[in-house]
Amino acid sequence: MSILINKNTKVLVLGITGKSGRLQTEIMKKYGTDIVAGVTPGKGRKEVEGIPVYDFVKEAVNNHEINAAISFVPPPYAKDSCIEVIENGIKFLVLTTEQIPEHDVVEIIKYAENKGARILGPGSAGLILPGKCKLGVHPPNMFKGGHIGVVSKSGALSYEVGKTLTENGIGQSTVVAIGGGPYWGLTQLNILKLFQEDDETKMIVLLGEIGGTMEEETAKFIKEKVNKPVIALIVGKSAPKGKSLGHAGAIIEGDLGTAKSKINALREAGAYIANDPEDIVELVNR
Amino acid sequence: MKLYEFQGKEIFKKYGIPVQSGFLIHKNDEVKNLTPPLVLKSQLLVGGRGKAGGIKIWDGNTDALKIINELFSLKIKGEKVRAILALEKVDILREIYLSITFNRGKSTPVLIVGTSGGMDIEESARLNKEKIHFVEIDPFLGILEYQIRFVAKKINIGNYLEFRNIIRAVYKIFKEYDATLVEINPLAITPSGFVAIDAKVNLDDQSSFRHEELFNRLREEKEFIQDKKKVHTSKPKEDTITYVPLSGDIGLISDGAGTGLFTLDLINEYGGKVANFCEMGGITNSEVMFKSLKMVASDHSVKSILVVLIGGFNRMDDMAEGILKFKKELNKDIPIFIRMCGTKEEIGKELMKKANIPVYDSLNVAVEKTIKKAMEN
Repeated sequence: MSILINKNTKVLVLGITGKSGRLQTEIMKKYGTDIVAGVTPGKGRKEVEGIPVYDFVKEAVNNHEINAAISFVPPPYAKDSCIEVIENGIKFLVLTTEQIPEHDVVEIIKYAENKGARILGPGSAGLILPGKCKLGVHPPNMFKGGHIGVVSKSGALSYEVGKTLTENGIGQSTVVAIGGGPYWGLTQLNILKLFQEDDETKMIVLLGEIGGTMEEETAKFIKEKVNKPVIALIVGKSAPKGKSLGHAGAIIEGDLGTAKSKINALREAGAYIANDPEDIVELVNR
Repeated sequence: MKLYEFQGKEIFKKYGIPVQSGFLIHKNDEVKNLTPPLVLKSQLLVGGRGKAGGIKIWDGNTDALKIINELFSLKIKGEKVRAILALEKVDILREIYLSITFNRGKSTPVLIVGTSGGMDIEESARLNKEKIHFVEIDPFLGILEYQIRFVAKKINIGNYLEFRNIIRAVYKIFKEYDATLVEINPLAITPSGFVAIDAKVNLDDQSSFRHEELFNRLREEKEFIQDKKKVHTSKPKEDTITYVPLSGDIGLISDGAGTGLFTLDLINEYGGKVANFCEMGGITNSEVMFKSLKMVASDHSVKSILVVLIGGFNRMDDMAEGILKFKKELNKDIPIFIRMCGTKEEIGKELMKKANIPVYDSLNVAVEKTIKKAMEN
């Protein structure tokens, strides 16, 4: 068992002919992801890494069984391409694109919700099932199979922690990056719920950051519904107020959203609080 | 992009939202033939100008020029007054609050209406929750009639049709301009109907690709007011670099916000102080790496630089190229410490090794080395 995808998931890549799309497709395929088709408007009938490319999602789904998609489409075309995917019945989409206009993001998320599709992102690094497959940009060598479920806002921080866990011999079941916000399709809470139900996941690592109130809401859920051990690391303790440090979601405005408020809420919910990745290793081994 | 009040009101006018008649006074304009009474409002992008004395009423009994010059000498929250909007004075019977923005937690637009508006809206929103009403808007359906009826009843509006038209216009602006906020605070009820006394419009920079002309025009207007010498009409930014000046002696660059925030915490914990922080963002290539180093190194308090790279999207061969370009072209002798891993790391590390630039696998070690060097220098 695993969450969101598995080794048999058949994947469509949107924006497969771009620089990132092409390289990441190559890495994913090599890792074992079953990529069956790609879409780039105007580039139909080409091939990338031996994978057929279509002009429309409809053409791809007519010719292949597809269960999930990943998008590398640039911001101006992101909404259009997400709607096209959902409209064609694909129920899970990793949206890696950052800097999509807010009005578009809100429509993408609402549309997915209306049609019962799940979006990981925007601005998501995707997810990796170590040793099996990956739908995203996680560097393969930093992860190994095991029983820790990791959910992070930041992609890079999920690599950082994965790397430390792996170097210390601790494997992971699934590592998920939901994106830096301020809008999210799937939230920490959604992922935690999946980890709670997943047999393979014995322990959960939650990597949060300042800004917004998502961690506070997640804490409430942990308290009520999660009985697996949760280890949490919140970054941005020393970040200045009112300034964005990269992730649009990571701005502290007012008292809500500070590292302190999040740490307190999580500790109160019974989570173990770590200060850095080494701490996580120690807590896992305890 | 935040718009000035006068820019917002231009848009309001176009969409049929009533505003006072008036004109803009620039800093070096010759002002004559004024007819009292006038409301003189400093045009600023920061909030709270009313409380800081940035708005004056000229009733004709004193010298208007004196008031105008006083306003031009003001600096509010670091922003100098360079333009004044002079408006006819209206009789206000009642003030309400009206805005449409995004509820980010719920990923939906939201209409916010307050029984009373004005300078203390934030305070009163906190104290009297029952006086503020929120209505979530479906982005596909837009604002619905019953939703407007609902808030109109809640805040006791007599002239419903006029109120409805204003809310519809505000939503239309919100949508068509890709705004993240359209706020009228206060929306006044006067003997002759509603008047938008203030206008706050924030546009989404990320949408600039579909409003190129508009963004250029608004930016030119802003630069004219801010007295910037060079008016550039090119696209706002090609890259996604976030630069944050702090105070310390270490320059920090990261290729991810999460690791950047974490490294900042780590440096603090180890007793170091960060002078500036640069997050390279989503679209990262060798040029962005080069520019980031240049930006960070241009601050003279920086004694050592830490570059934290953990690439998924980001390619380490590209990063190495950017670092080498910086070394070669700018030849600064600021020590640079690099933590490099991820996509194409073998090539990146090889390039660094050839150039004799130390690369570390462990973030903690890199942090320690950087702090030590900053202390020595």
